[in-house]
Amino acid sequence: MRAEILGWLLDVYTRPSGELVCWLLGKDGQRWLLPMDFPVTFYAGGRPEHLRQAWRAVTDSSVQKARAVRADLFGREQILLSLTAPTPGQAGALYHQLSTTFPHLDYYDADVPLGVRFMAYTGVPLLGYCRFQTDGQSLISLEPLESPWELVPSQPPLRVMELTCSSDPALKLPSTLMLHCGTWVYHLALQPLRAFLANFQAILQRYDPDVILTDYGDAWFFAFLRESAPHFNPNRDPIMPVAFQRERSLFAYGQVLYRARQAHLFGRWHIDRCNAALFGEIGLEGVLELARVTGLGVQEAARKSPGAGITAMQMHTALRDRVLIPVAKAQAETPRTLNDLIQHDRGGLIYQPLIGVHKYVAEIDFTSMYPYIMVNHNISPETLGYHDATSGLVPRTLRPLLEKRTALKRFLCTLDRRDCRVPLLQARQKALKWLLVVCFGYLGYKNARFGRVESHEAVTGISRELLLQSKEVAEELGFTVLHMYVDSLFVWHAKSTREEDFTPLLLAIERQTGIPVTLEGVYQWLVFPPARRHPSIPVPNRYFGAFNDGRVKVRGLALRRHDTPRFVAETQWHLLSLLAQSENPEEHAEAARAFAKAQLSRLARRDVPAEDLKVAVKLRQRPEICLRPGPAAQAARQLHERGVTIRPGMRLFFWFTRQGISVTQPPPEALDLERYARLVQRAVDEVLEVFKPPPPLSLQLRLDSFAFPACTCPQRP
Amino acid sequence: MGRTVATITQHLNETEAMLQRFRRTLRRQDQVLFDGLMASAHAHIAAISEAQALLPFEVALLAMLLEQHRQIAHLNQRVADLEQSFGMFHPDAR
Repeated sequence: MRAEILGWLLDVYTRPSGELVCWLLGKDGQRWLLPMDFPVTFYAGGRPEHLRQAWRAVTDSSVQKARAVRADLFGREQILLSLTAPTPGQAGALYHQLSTTFPHLDYYDADVPLGVRFMAYTGVPLLGYCRFQTDGQSLISLEPLESPWELVPSQPPLRVMELTCSSDPALKLPSTLMLHCGTWVYHLALQPLRAFLANFQAILQRYDPDVILTDYGDAWFFAFLRESAPHFNPNRDPIMPVAFQRERSLFAYGQVLYRARQAHLFGRWHIDRCNAALFGEIGLEGVLELARVTGLGVQEAARKSPGAGITAMQMHTALRDRVLIPVAKAQAETPRTLNDLIQHDRGGLIYQPLIGVHKYVAEIDFTSMYPYIMVNHNISPETLGYHDATSGLVPRTLRPLLEKRTALKRFLCTLDRRDCRVPLLQARQKALKWLLVVCFGYLGYKNARFGRVESHEAVTGISRELLLQSKEVAEELGFTVLHMYVDSLFVWHAKSTREEDFTPLLLAIERQTGIPVTLEGVYQWLVFPPARRHPSIPVPNRYFGAFNDGRVKVRGLALRRHDTPRFVAETQWHLLSLLAQSENPEEHAEAARAFAKAQLSRLARRDVPAEDLKVAVKLRQRPEICLRPGPAAQAARQLHERGVTIRPGMRLFFWFTRQGISVTQPPPEALDLERYARLVQRAVDEVLEVFKPPPPLSLQLRLDSFAFPACTCPQRP
Repeated sequence: MGRTVATITQHLNETEAMLQRFRRTLRRQDQVLFDGLMASAHAHIAAISEAQALLPFEVALLAMLLEQHRQIAHLNQRVADLEQSFGMFHPDAR
């Protein structure tokens, strides 16, 4: 019997048979797992004789073969072999077979994520409100009732179960698990195993969660379940086993990253909070927003970098606009002269700040500067060099994203900070922010499908020009520009102390550049400290200050670093809080020094909990190839001796001891207190060095610590 | 940050490293002056970069000159202020 139901599309996936399954949540709370007919088309291009061979090689009668003419990103039409498989699974297998047999052919639209393809062809986004028809066995039709760009989308009533364990499984096997299901909390002992499994299964069946949030679920829990109870299936879809993806270390964004093994569920989601890089910042609400706008499944969106999200969005635009999506990037960089490289191969404009303590400084930020440049100036690989080009693929992808985030931020400004909607809206706008942050980098990424380094350089070139224009506008209005950093300016004026005093400048900059700017705030005082190597060398990305409303902002200090022990970070934070108590931080410098001294005394008396002295360092390379192993490599070796598998990119925890380092908590007398005292002193100096009284004349003359020898000292006439 | 072309900070650091033997040969008090001179170029890295010069150290020398000129202007101002406070007149003012 056919039924028409209102509800939400939560996920799509393929079963081992290859068919597509939609997981839907009805408005009445009923969960549906319904197969759907979903043929998938991909293309092969190349020399005609090779295409004919490929045509003959496809013998499966269920696959439709045809000749097609399609255009790529640059509008070049190509004659292609079109292959349509009846199910996504069959299409994947066929692509794998063809690409192995005919590796020299170019393939298009072959490796698009299923959610993206589904969204492009049905118009229904993941997490989107929709109307669907079913006969109880399969999904007959699906109709979107909501766009992914809704400012306040409807929320599916999800059931969330949280699972935490009593210890880090890498160091010690947990003895108990805590399960939070709504208002209920269960403590389950892992031993005896049979009782644990029975209890866990009973809770899973009774509560029937849509989302399982875990700590170490990827790295340990689901692998533990598979090994200890191979027949236990935590999926809602009984046909599907848990899908494991192998662990890996990768180099991205200038650092070595570690991605633990992943455990994906079907018919419900599993998110490991310890293996989802952005989860701490954007939470479940942000992850759902990412899935909604990118088309990546929730489990992928939580674990993958925002770059994967932007690529998925570009793929969606390309599918919708019938632009071919190459499996591998097709265009190479054109040869360039050295002069051309010197002119264009550069990043954003970074100024050198004026060192010292400054009063009443305004920080002005451009809102999503690079995405706005890409949209306003129509920057995309295919539009480069054309002044009258129609909107490119990248701006077409970014425009709704940018508009949604700007609207969200405007909406947030209208709400009271205590409004219960604020944290959720903040999480969503932060998730969108991350997509916008990486969209620029992806233009220049060598493997980006729709990237081209020249367009990346065009963005930075325009940004430098706009920042210089902003500086000129500020100086024309009588402001002193203390610092500029890519998309923000720090300005000062003797008569401007309140936020409204800076409004004319904000309006003038907006008028000049065409990009919205916001006032981050007005600092009561702001410090740009000098570099450690020389007192007159400024550091662009290190500053701290207190806003008029009492907030303290810190960049580049020890407390922002992940490897700083908690005790050191808290000491530095307390110093800043002391200084922030008045508009003249110099007045509290003495109290701050006294506090620093007291903290050092506490350390000397061993009055600091060992947990607060724990150091966390990321392992950059395999420890066995380190010639002079640093603390991270030593920690890795110790853990390896204890049977723990170590991979580059992992974050390792240890303590400094008199013998070196220790990955287990040492007794207080074994701690290397001198080393910790040096760390504290360095953190104190970072903050208080600038408040030391200057040497009377030499500093003003910038002949720091220089003194003429007595014999050559010029004599007063 | 460029991909192929080194940044100005990298250029300056490399030049300083290249001049290490020059610095080492200087007398101690001259070494301090030399360090100050190199530091003064670091204060104008953004401007040196915007000059898009094939040999950035040439523009860095200009940045050092600029800093020296600023110090001279500052000292001139101080001398003028001191002379005024002592009731003296600057010879140029006569």
